[in-house]
Amino acid sequence: MKLTRSIVIAGAGLLMMGLPIAAHHSFAAEYDSNKKVELKGVVTKFEWTNPHAHFYIDVTGAGGKVANWNLELASPNMMQRNGWTRHSLKEGDQVVVVAAQAKDGTNTASAQTIQKSDGTKLTFMAAPPPPDVK
Amino acid sequence: MRKSFITCYVVTAIIGAASLMTGQAPAPNAAKGKGGRGGPATPAGPTPHLTDGTVDLSGAWMGSGSNSGDISKGLKPGEEVVMLPWAESLMKTRKSQDDPEANCLPTGVPRGAPYPWRIVQTPTHYFILFEGNIHSFRQIFMNGKHPDDPDPTWYGHSIGRWDKDTLVVDTVGFNDKFWFDYLGHPHTEKLHTVERYTRTDLGNMTIDVTIDDPGAYAKPFTTTGRARLQPNTELIEYICQENNIDLVHVNAPAQLP
Repeated sequence: MKLTRSIVIAGAGLLMMGLPIAAHHSFAAEYDSNKKVELKGVVTKFEWTNPHAHFYIDVTGAGGKVANWNLELASPNMMQRNGWTRHSLKEGDQVVVVAAQAKDGTNTASAQTIQKSDGTKLTFMAAPPPPDVK
Repeated sequence: MRKSFITCYVVTAIIGAASLMTGQAPAPNAAKGKGGRGGPATPAGPTPHLTDGTVDLSGAWMGSGSNSGDISKGLKPGEEVVMLPWAESLMKTRKSQDDPEANCLPTGVPRGAPYPWRIVQTPTHYFILFEGNIHSFRQIFMNGKHPDDPDPTWYGHSIGRWDKDTLVVDTVGFNDKFWFDYLGHPHTEKLHTVERYTRTDLGNMTIDVTIDDPGAYAKPFTTTGRARLQPNTELIEYICQENNIDLVHVNAPAQLP
């Protein structure tokens, strides 16, 4: 729990500074760092593509209506150097995502933290090191 | 123990990566002793040389000679950026979604990108290989001459020479399309840059860049930045044009990252 909080704080701090982690466009021009959303849903697609990886999740609202969200990540090259792989997410994964929503109000957001149902925690660019790292 | 490691890893990665966006050194005590992005420590040791005595610039580097967010924030002491009125007016009208870098076009000179790059030295040509943004290269003609009327290009026409242990790269023949930074500082085809690359030790390189563009600026100015060696790092394919779907959501004046 303490770890989750630390990662969230680090991510939030970065957003407050208006800094992208690894982007080729202005983060601040696209996302509102004050517009945080917490999304619980199921991964419908994971795009391991440049210039940014994306994943999409179906989020079921209170009335049963399902909304699909587009969540942006860093670029695969930098994510790979920080522990991500193209298998880190897959269709069907249940996730809880904390993200900064796009300023245009669409179901688009920059994923800051991702918690999978197996307990794995991922961030915009970083994944945990392999289990043998103490 | 593992949790604290992960936390440190994530925080350091974020701080380090943020600093790399600007090409500037991290703030004091931020990621101290690290390779600039939470990886292994920057290698220590003397500046390496090739067998002929030339400084060896090989390795994967991160960083650049200017502040990619706002070029006026990365100046050498005593320098100032004085734009001509038309250039100042143009910059105020620019929008983030029109930034060539955001559209997967080259950054030109001296703007850096948050990806590693590599210098390849041959007797006649030096090459700067960029992982991004874009997955391209510059070529530097060693001890060459500029053509009389070069076609304007994104990276210009570069000639190189050694000034003691500093590689000096003189470039003309730029087009006017790229932006100096996220804020949209403009330039013209009159741009002339002189970059000075000095590998101060095994793991560090200082990069000073003098920018002379009488078409857009009242006087030349010099920026300064640095790059860090990334040990055990290879360039990875990065094709920006592959899935650049985000710009439809980027609808705002040109601004800092």
